[in-house]
Amino acid sequence: MALVELVGITKSYELGRTVVHALNGVDLQVERGEFTVVMGPSGSGKTTLLNIIGCLDRATAGTFRFDGEELGDRDFNDLAEIRNRKIGFIFQSFNLIPVLNVTENIEFPCLIRGDPKKALRERVRQVAEEVGLGKFLAHKPDELSGGQRQRVAIARALVTQPQVVLADEPTANLDSGTSEQIIDLMLELNAKENVTFLFSTHDPRVMAHARRVVHIADGRLVDGTDSGRAEVAAVAGMGAR
Amino acid sequence: MGSLLQIAVRNVVRNVRRTAITLAALLLGVGVMVSIRGTLNGLQRSMKESMVLAQTGAVQVHKKGYLKNVLSSPLHLDMEVGDALVKRILAVPHVTAVAPRILFGGMVNLGDQTLFMATLALDPKREFEVCPKRRDLFDARAKAFGTSADGMVITVELAKGLGAKLTEPAALLAPDKDGALSGENATILGTMQLTSPGERKIGIVPLPLAQHLLKMEGRATELAIAVDDLENAPLVAAALERALGPEFEVHTWDNVATFFKDILFRQDFLLSLIATVFLVLMLLGVANTMLMSVLDRTREIGTMMALGVRRSRIVTLFLVEAAVIGVFGGCLGGLLGSIVVAWLHVRGIEVTMPTSAVPFVIQPFVDVLYIVKIVCLSGIGALVFAVYPAWRASRLRPVQALAGG
Ligand SMILES: Nc1ncnc2c1ncn2[C@@H]1O[C@H](COP(=O)(O)OP(=O)(O)OP(=O)(O)O)[C@@H](O)[C@H]1O
Ligand SMILES: [Mg+2]
Repeated sequence: MALVELVGITKSYELGRTVVHALNGVDLQVERGEFTVVMGPSGSGKTTLLNIIGCLDRATAGTFRFDGEELGDRDFNDLAEIRNRKIGFIFQSFNLIPVLNVTENIEFPCLIRGDPKKALRERVRQVAEEVGLGKFLAHKPDELSGGQRQRVAIARALVTQPQVVLADEPTANLDSGTSEQIIDLMLELNAKENVTFLFSTHDPRVMAHARRVVHIADGRLVDGTDSGRAEVAAVAGMGAR
Repeated sequence: MGSLLQIAVRNVVRNVRRTAITLAALLLGVGVMVSIRGTLNGLQRSMKESMVLAQTGAVQVHKKGYLKNVLSSPLHLDMEVGDALVKRILAVPHVTAVAPRILFGGMVNLGDQTLFMATLALDPKREFEVCPKRRDLFDARAKAFGTSADGMVITVELAKGLGAKLTEPAALLAPDKDGALSGENATILGTMQLTSPGERKIGIVPLPLAQHLLKMEGRATELAIAVDDLENAPLVAAALERALGPEFEVHTWDNVATFFKDILFRQDFLLSLIATVFLVLMLLGVANTMLMSVLDRTREIGTMMALGVRRSRIVTLFLVEAAVIGVFGGCLGGLLGSIVVAWLHVRGIEVTMPTSAVPFVIQPFVDVLYIVKIVCLSGIGALVFAVYPAWRASRLRPVQALAGG
């Protein structure tokens, strides 16, 4: 069973008399342990797609299954809990909570669900170490560089041990060197810890690193571009670069 | 949840400028409210004291039904003022002095003028044990009241009406207890000021003179009673009622001088009105701050929602922030107000009431309970006024919030 399964997903917005089809019949499966990149130009529907998979938004039509469950009829609080327990988010603009320091930002999603604070501190330290922030635990977001902030976001996404980490253009606000470091970090986490990543970009340079690339244009996946589909099983099993 | 509280407090501290503006509004509002309340407290205490110590005494005893007919100054509702009665009254705890009085409608004649005069017959010795400040209202010559058997004191207004030289021999006329007109020679010693509104043509005569005039030897219509502390007046009144029995009626000073109650009530009402306006203005400031905060932090709210924070927690977050500002601002305001009031207390404010030429000094004071009340009000009010902004924050759709609104 695929972790994420989309069948004929559409999303349309009514703008006055015109209707914008942000997604136009998307079929997509993501397996556990995969590292998938959604490529596409601006306005092609990447964010819309990730928002639906991330349970932040609802599709207009089609079937969306996450971890075997259809989530179409869940209310806000149910979805909030699913997001909290099963999904990690990394945003283009980092989206850290400005008044919290690195440790507090990382532990935040765990505190929401009531994880005991003592055991948490140790795990937070570990995760921070893993993303290379061991020395910055007490820093506030505005005392960090863009790359460091995105590392905090990665740590925050990982600390809950989610089923999938969704990253919407996580490198768009970073210079190319830092971008590569961040992508390397995500690849490494995918390889070492078998974390499932789904991330979007319109930066062709990122392609070089990606194992499975799905192209999207005008709200549709472009046929025959799903590079990784054939070898998915093997990659997911091996977990090696 | 602890971390929400942490976030709330830190946001308050972090947004220095915005918080400072809101705090300043609260500080000023609460500070002004406490200062006004304190000044009014001082004013009301002075007014009460001058009322009690210059006119009414703390508690009054009459024959049953007297106060209902007070306008006609009924002489038949009188009592024998013997040692036994006085002793019984003095035996009640907190009572310090008793003074018998007769109130009656009479006339004063001077030269060819005869004027009606609300007459107050006072025991020259004991009256000033109950109302020591009464003398403060007398002019220099009137202070000799009590040294002669027929010396009387009249109000400035009455003296004006009489016109002629006050030193000429005068006469006191009144229907006696049985309704027959009676008269006594009298001397006008001097004049006195009035501090309360109402009847302006009043004369004060020695009690023995009036008793003789009215054929009421050894009797009185009113007993004015002093207590050690005005706070004890209701207690003493209740005890006296028990001690004296159903033949008598006992009233505390504020039930005798009902107009005074009205004045206090009006002052308090006005203050509440001002306070409410201040409070609402202040709290609108808080609401505005919270709304700005919600707008500023739309993306942060979206992030929290993405991370799994429930809507109710978002509401809580903003309510807590508002309450923190409200309570903190209220405390600062309470402190400022207390300092102002304490300073004014030491310094004293000299005022002259429009009804009187005698100035008195107000010493503002405020009780802790009032400050606690205002601080709570400020916190709760901030909470209430933050409900809408908080609700708006919680109603944001996650995608929309993440996109910045
Ligand atoms: N709330 C909305 N209302 C109306 N139209 C929308 C809304 N959100 C997205 N769209 C439209 O849907 C289409 C897909 O948008 P989306 O944000 O998913 O694109 P994207 O691939 O993420 O673009 P970018 O690379 O610029 O982030 C666009 O045409 C956009 O204008
Ligand atoms: Mg996008």
